[in-house]
Amino acid sequence: MSGTANISELAFGLAGGQRWAMVRTHFGITAFGVNAYVADEAGIEVVGEHDELGERSGKHEELYFVASGHATFTVNGYEIDAPSGTFVFVRDPAAKRSAVAKEAGTTIVIAGGKPGEAFTPSPWERNAPALAHFATGEYDKAVEELERIHAETPEDAGVLYNLACAESMSGKGEQAVEHLARAVELDASFGELAEKDSDFDAIRNESGYASAIAGKPDAGGSSS
Amino acid sequence: MHLDDLDRFPVDDEGLLWRPVRRRLGITAFGTNAYTAEKGDERVVEEHREQGGAEELYFVASGRATFTLGDDEIDAPAGTFVYAEPGTKRGAIACEPKTTVVAFGAKPGVAHEISGWEEIFVAFGHLRNGNEDEGRKAMAAAIAGKPDAWQGHYNAACFESLTGNREATFEHLKRAIELDEKAAREYAQRDEDFDWLRDDPEFPA
Repeated sequence: MSGTANISELAFGLAGGQRWAMVRTHFGITAFGVNAYVADEAGIEVVGEHDELGERSGKHEELYFVASGHATFTVNGYEIDAPSGTFVFVRDPAAKRSAVAKEAGTTIVIAGGKPGEAFTPSPWERNAPALAHFATGEYDKAVEELERIHAETPEDAGVLYNLACAESMSGKGEQAVEHLARAVELDASFGELAEKDSDFDAIRNESGYASAIAGKPDAGGSSS
Repeated sequence: MHLDDLDRFPVDDEGLLWRPVRRRLGITAFGTNAYTAEKGDERVVEEHREQGGAEELYFVASGRATFTLGDDEIDAPAGTFVYAEPGTKRGAIACEPKTTVVAFGAKPGVAHEISGWEEIFVAFGHLRNGNEDEGRKAMAAAIAGKPDAWQGHYNAACFESLTGNREATFEHLKRAIELDEKAAREYAQRDEDFDWLRDDPEFPA
């Protein structure tokens, strides 16, 4: 349905310190991808390093627009100084890209799609409705939403990881370890991510946590 | 590439500047352009409906605009998104100098097809900027891209009429009529671009 919204109304906090405005899902846009990220402080990685090749990526070409502030983009190792008003277009899905805010309030709008094909949302966006509950601290609701998504896509490691985060934050330590272990089993990079993710502080002493992030079968010991 | 480096093509006499982004960067998966009103109190998004079925998202990148969205009027400072479904009438008037709106668009369920109007806008933009030769090249490119579309020949006829070329006007208008007689004649009969030729006995429409 046609409508309007300001980035400030849509953006909610993510673990990396940036805020995410889920623009496409907010408006129900189905023809192209569009999101926005805000860094409230300089030094925050406002666009996390990624390419568009992974299982959870959409293989999109992406256009980044620096709507306010100032950012430094890195695309395949090349640094691009990007003050407000800069467009950075990354055609190659294999290109590694990221951006760090040089000023507080840096806002980047991103649009994407796959050339020659009708748009389909990137698999990672499945998590979007649940992540909004993280921002409001409603972890039980996040668990409920992620369980539903997990039932639809049981092999999606990103969904399993976020489910484990929500379970950890809502005191469901045993389930959190189980789902984290499965996420790492499917995608080992989630083990490294978990070590830095404060969502798991509550379960670091749980039996099986160390094995889970190492991608090994639970030996029954403690990580402490 | 920075917004300031984009081309600036006048679209109408109200001050609306079209700044092609998709075309400049070679984006093929979706459409995107910027529109700037330099002085404020000028049109920054032309009033229209997307008859072709495209969803459109507008982002106020700088300044401030008043959008019309269906029957609603929306105050849109920088940072505002305005989403319009295909059938919804939309438009915007800038409220501040140097208001720029970035638009994104595509049609759901199909691979993105680059709009034929882009090169035609470029052609008339060059003409309004006083660069007739570049405009004619862009018009030729538009026709080459879709040689059997009546709209390309029709707009070429307008271009040639506006630049005082009687023979070329008639040639393109005849071809447009061959391709879609009803549409081309209907438009030509009320299009003021042809006013100076309308009483010519050889005027095709």
